[in-house]
Amino acid sequence: MFCFQCEQTARQDGQAGCASAKGVCGKDEVTADLQDLLIYQLKGLGELSQRLHQHGTPDQAADSFILYALFTTLTNVNFNRAVFTGLIAEAARLRDKLRATLEAAGEALQGLSAAAHFAPAAELTELLAQANIASVRAGLELVGEDVIGLRALILYGLKGVAAYAHHAEVLGEKREEIYAGIARALDFLAHDPADIPTLLEEALALGRLNLIVMEALDAANTGAFGMPTPTQVRTTPVAGKAILVSGHDLRDLHNILDATKGTGINVYTHGEMLPAHGYPRLHAYPHLAGNYGSAWQNQQQEFADFPGPIVMTSNCLIEPRAAYRNRIFTAGPVGWPGLRHIQHDDYAQVIQAAQAMPGFTQTAAEKTILVGFARETLLGAAETVIEAVKSGAIKHFFLIGGCDGAAPGRNYYTDFADHAPEDTVLLTLGCGKYRFNSHEFGNIGPLPRLLDVGQCNDSYSAIQIASALAGAFGCGVNDLPLTLVVSWFEQKAAAVLLTLLALGLRNVRLGPSLPAFLTPTLLNVLVETFGVQPITNAEADIAAALARAA
Amino acid sequence: MNLTLLTRDEVRLEIDATVGQSALEAAEAAGLYPAAMCRDGQCGQCAAHVVSGTYEMGPHSPAALPPEPGGVLLCQCLPTSDLTVALPYGDAQLPRHSVPVRQAVIETLRPAGAAAMSLVLRLQPDAALGQTADFLPGQYMELRPPGMAISRAYSLANLPNWEGTLEFLIRLVPDGAFSGWLAREAKPGDRLELRGPLGQFTLDEASPRARWLVGGGCGFAPLLSLLRQMAEFQDTTPVRLIYGVNLAEELLPNDIFTPLREALPQLHVTFAVWHGAPGANAVQGSTADILESQLASTGSAADIYVCGPPKMVETVLAAARQAGVPDAQLFCEKL
Ligand code: SF4
Ligand code: SF4
Repeated sequence: MFCFQCEQTARQDGQAGCASAKGVCGKDEVTADLQDLLIYQLKGLGELSQRLHQHGTPDQAADSFILYALFTTLTNVNFNRAVFTGLIAEAARLRDKLRATLEAAGEALQGLSAAAHFAPAAELTELLAQANIASVRAGLELVGEDVIGLRALILYGLKGVAAYAHHAEVLGEKREEIYAGIARALDFLAHDPADIPTLLEEALALGRLNLIVMEALDAANTGAFGMPTPTQVRTTPVAGKAILVSGHDLRDLHNILDATKGTGINVYTHGEMLPAHGYPRLHAYPHLAGNYGSAWQNQQQEFADFPGPIVMTSNCLIEPRAAYRNRIFTAGPVGWPGLRHIQHDDYAQVIQAAQAMPGFTQTAAEKTILVGFARETLLGAAETVIEAVKSGAIKHFFLIGGCDGAAPGRNYYTDFADHAPEDTVLLTLGCGKYRFNSHEFGNIGPLPRLLDVGQCNDSYSAIQIASALAGAFGCGVNDLPLTLVVSWFEQKAAAVLLTLLALGLRNVRLGPSLPAFLTPTLLNVLVETFGVQPITNAEADIAAALARAA
Repeated sequence: MNLTLLTRDEVRLEIDATVGQSALEAAEAAGLYPAAMCRDGQCGQCAAHVVSGTYEMGPHSPAALPPEPGGVLLCQCLPTSDLTVALPYGDAQLPRHSVPVRQAVIETLRPAGAAAMSLVLRLQPDAALGQTADFLPGQYMELRPPGMAISRAYSLANLPNWEGTLEFLIRLVPDGAFSGWLAREAKPGDRLELRGPLGQFTLDEASPRARWLVGGGCGFAPLLSLLRQMAEFQDTTPVRLIYGVNLAEELLPNDIFTPLREALPQLHVTFAVWHGAPGANAVQGSTADILESQLASTGSAADIYVCGPPKMVETVLAAARQAGVPDAQLFCEKL
């Protein structure tokens, strides 16, 4: 196996990449190789799908499959090799179907890539023997590290885009331009592009596509559950039977709330599910009792201690400990061998487990945190904000966004939040906020200094806020007293980063370490052309940001 | 002193150990609970391997000690310097809570073949676990009858569930204290005390290889649990069962196998009868003989799971090694 798609990738002797029998995340060799093969097939499938889109006869089943299949390969999503052998067979079946459709429509099928012709072996051992052609580093001797790195950047960004698109799709948001854009990107990758300027251009095109996808997801979430409003969320348990819902999928949470209505079971959010409380139509369920635990990397302890079943709706899953193996369920793209998977929205077993488990025996003293500062709330308070900036009460905005992880370097984000001067506002999104969202930051006038904008996909909301502010001040976004501090962990953050670059946002601080797939030459392009800066230490970076703005 | 536990997936757990404390006690004091049973150097459940450092071994049965250099029993291993010990299982399999002790009542008790009883227990609600029967397929429990000092370990035959049901297959030993009690006195409604789940005889789900399950007598119980797990998860991994008994009348009734064959179309079953006429559905021979001939005829590189009486397990393992199956692909549980 070889995988370097996430921030926690193994770094040994100056060599980056998980290349032993098991990656840092727990993904084993077999699963990693099968994921590579699946991606390879998806390039071929995307190529055929792209032709169907051009022909005006897209195939919805294939397009949805592509989103879902890409999503399963993100970091900390699916570790179940049985799932991947199934997806590989399905990808081949769909590929044949699309080819037949194109042929029937009289389309010539010339110039198809090798990926579109790939025939996966039926036997697992033979399949694994085929995995070499599908490695992210295939062709390295031919094209060099820079091209491999850029292809990886596009592929990983595309995985992030697909994950967001899948979340939007399950809520009914199905847009032709999104499916077509994803097929186009896969088609591009299928032909082993090697021209650096073209690759860079494609990366930015993907960033633009991701903006559309995040907008679609925002429309899907707000359409289904209402516009987030500032909401106090209880962070201490209430006596009673309990279910914990983790991951990012609001639809799953909604279905669980529906299925448990009137059962007396309380539902708690975990990790990135926290922003769900801000959505009025989710908040309206009285048994959505609160938020439990913190960010994903603490789940082994937190899930073991939780007195009820757990449902994992998307990343980030870590190898489950024996203590809760029988009561953690996966849903959607998520999987781990030997864990029960929820199918057809059937939560009967989860409910049964919740009834059988003791639940919380006592109600703890109430503690809350505030979430739900999406764009409407902030734009609604635009007058106040603009006044505060003009009067000098607010000197600067820091958007601290992205994922958390277990690496020690991540204390940077805690330090950053804690050291930001009193006259600055902190906007936050993604699970990185768990490093500081229980700290006291106080208010500036009526405005809390720490504003939780939502999940990482709510970067869309943040972008809207920034452009609205720029509009109000009659300046460009880069001239706003705003600094973006991005903590990246996995591929959705790569997609968001590409969007920020495509929008021309400069001076993004990126950390805690830079992506391993970016070579020094590519990093130099990011720094020189796009003004991306690696993080240094919190105090120095705050000072630099404030000095630049002054 | 420092004690480092190194799990099979290479997680390093650092613990403080004081002089005179066994490695097991030090781990438990730190909130880690490595598998252990007799705590007396006899049962071999806490076997591990010292990677570096010095230690003394307290009194123990030589048969329980892993034969390889550095082999120790954690319950009798007294560190005399900083010590690093490798555990034969992964971090996620290392419990962070002491093994639960629970109460259960007998729900049903009936003969299973000529030499065994099928025992079904219902757990009483527990403060931490509620009504759940929480274990991993392949694990076992220690059972203690009311008012008796003896306890015996038996593998679970069913799947974890939320009704609190535990199913065992118990071999009737002529003079066995527990099985004697079971055959003569036990009746539905009787209470038992249980300690568990215990054991690491669980499926290696990350392995890409076929699974061959070899069981003798009541060694079939955990294999049944593993097969039921595969059936529940619609696991398509190639799987083979070689199930051996002494006499044809000891074979379990066929209705146990029917749902497995239906859910696992790839399942290949061989019944082996060691002594006497094998009958229509079985072949003559020991499980080791049959394993040997099937390994030779298929050339398979499967993972092999063996469970049964110690002697039978040893002969099967020897046959597998003889056929070139590496140790990493051998999983066993001795009854
Ligand atoms: S996802 Fe990250 S940790 Fe997992 S194998 Fe890939 S690079 Fe390693
Ligand atoms: S924000 Fe990123 S790291 Fe955090 S849970 Fe979501 S995907 Fe995982």
